[in-house]
Amino acid sequence: MFSGGRKYRNNEITVYWKPDACVHASYCYRELIEVFDPGRRPWVDMNGASTDRIIEVVNMCPTEALTWKWNDEDKNKDISVDQTNHVVFRRPELLEIKEPDNQENPVSVKIMKDGPIVIKGDFTFQYSGNKKAMKDGIISLCRCGASNHLPFCDGTHRKIGFEDK
Amino acid sequence: MDTNDDRTSSAIVVVIDGGPLKITGEIILKDLKKDITDNPAEVLLCRCGRSCNKPYCDGSHKN
Repeated sequence: MFSGGRKYRNNEITVYWKPDACVHASYCYRELIEVFDPGRRPWVDMNGASTDRIIEVVNMCPTEALTWKWNDEDKNKDISVDQTNHVVFRRPELLEIKEPDNQENPVSVKIMKDGPIVIKGDFTFQYSGNKKAMKDGIISLCRCGASNHLPFCDGTHRKIGFEDK
Repeated sequence: MDTNDDRTSSAIVVVIDGGPLKITGEIILKDLKKDITDNPAEVLLCRCGRSCNKPYCDGSHKN
């Protein structure tokens, strides 16, 4: 079980259920027994009504027992105040926190055993007179000397049996 | 061909013609033997496959 209670999804939204927050106001099953049926297991059936109707009823819950969010995280950035039980108002910890994109990605240089050098992140890449600013980029560079696409790896190291000793 | 881009990055990866790969700036290097080398000031990595000190360059490409 997911640590913050239970969650139920359809293809558009996820509904979160936090049992210890419920005060049994009963809006959910009085309004929409097709979805919220305390006598059934699982008690929430996300196929029982349209997404709009499920959102409408979840927003009636007076506590944070029932909350919801869009599965498409981008849509969770623009929620109106009348969507009272969207997780942004009730349980913001359930939103994925995304790092702002203006930060520089650290550069990782990984030596693959018997294979290429793989470089990832934000860096300046210079070869044969070219100069490129890589943003969240990835390149794989030949270490065996036998690639047909130097300086890049083309997998030839396997054919020639290149080995790190 | 030069890509004109005002954005600067602290790490610079340079393919030296007929020589090694030179990397300067802030990087995290994952070596074969040691797990991680943090922020080496400059590193020269073998591209010819002949170094006796792989993954580092030892000048063998000149021979």
